[in-house]
Amino acid sequence: MTIQQAIFILLALVILGSAIFVVTTRNLFRAALMMMLTFFGVAGLFVLLEIGLFAVAQVLIYIGAISILIIFAVMLTRGMQGMVPRNSQATAAAVVAGIIFFVLLLLFGPLRTTVDVARWPVISLIAGNASPRDVGGIQWTPAGQPIPPVPETYIADFGRALVDLNQYLLPFLLIAFLVDVVLAGAIFVARQRRPAEVIEDRQRQAEEAAEEAEAMRQAGMKPDAAALPEGAVASTADH
Amino acid sequence: MQNVLNGIPLWWYLVVSSALFCIGLYGVLARKNAIALLMGVELMLNAANINLLAFWRYLAPASSGGLAFAAFVLVIAAAEAAVGLALVISVYRVTRSIDPEKLDQMKL
Repeated sequence: MTIQQAIFILLALVILGSAIFVVTTRNLFRAALMMMLTFFGVAGLFVLLEIGLFAVAQVLIYIGAISILIIFAVMLTRGMQGMVPRNSQATAAAVVAGIIFFVLLLLFGPLRTTVDVARWPVISLIAGNASPRDVGGIQWTPAGQPIPPVPETYIADFGRALVDLNQYLLPFLLIAFLVDVVLAGAIFVARQRRPAEVIEDRQRQAEEAAEEAEAMRQAGMKPDAAALPEGAVASTADH
Repeated sequence: MQNVLNGIPLWWYLVVSSALFCIGLYGVLARKNAIALLMGVELMLNAANINLLAFWRYLAPASSGGLAFAAFVLVIAAAEAAVGLALVISVYRVTRSIDPEKLDQMKL
């Protein structure tokens, strides 16, 4: 066993162990911390794949941003941490997840010996009469050949591909727009309403209820029945 | 002849990523807390990223396709976390509960 294999197995154990802890623990705060460990393990896998760019991006975005965001949410919803970890469908969920895992293993089974892109059904369908090796203008690694190293300029190539009209410019612009909209939307949804706004809302609702009661009384209904919704509306507006 | 990089065959990565995906799926289906549910989604997105980058490295390292898609997954994950947690906090403020089973009405 080479040292890389040993590191891979160690990283896999860390990733899977901490992931299982994340989905089973009762304490949400610990779950968030263990999720950071999972993300670190995945960053380690990216290092083994010789993609330093994505290992750094993983640490910056997942560990630096997303995990911190989740920890904030856990703290803001205090009192929810000691909850029952599983709902009533937990057994069914475990069975479904297990079945999907075995289906995935069956799908990946043929890839154990060799991976020949030319024999993939979709690729040969797209290729038609052309050579399957050139589908999409991509130089696929031929089966049985050693894997070429990542080009030294891969980060620059990646950057150019993102702003190349013939490659990923449109998805890149779309996703930039999506992030803009999402951040504005998140601020709008989660904003704290000022007490004045809440009071205004409550007054308006009470007036509406009073008008409704008045209309009902004029229509000849019992006033008691109409007075009840007014209190109910006022109490739900308290939050 | 296998596809091997640094002594690690491609299918090792695929097994780890499918296991991580299924653990995340279990988290999404079985947890009784909206934030824990979002954590499960993050694990699933991470598993997808491992898969994308492993296939890119082993089969087409000369192109930029795998990197571009992995970067998009990363951005989508960040956006999903921001919106999801904003919704959770907003719902918690109104109902004092983040149990997805209890959130069954659109109007409060």
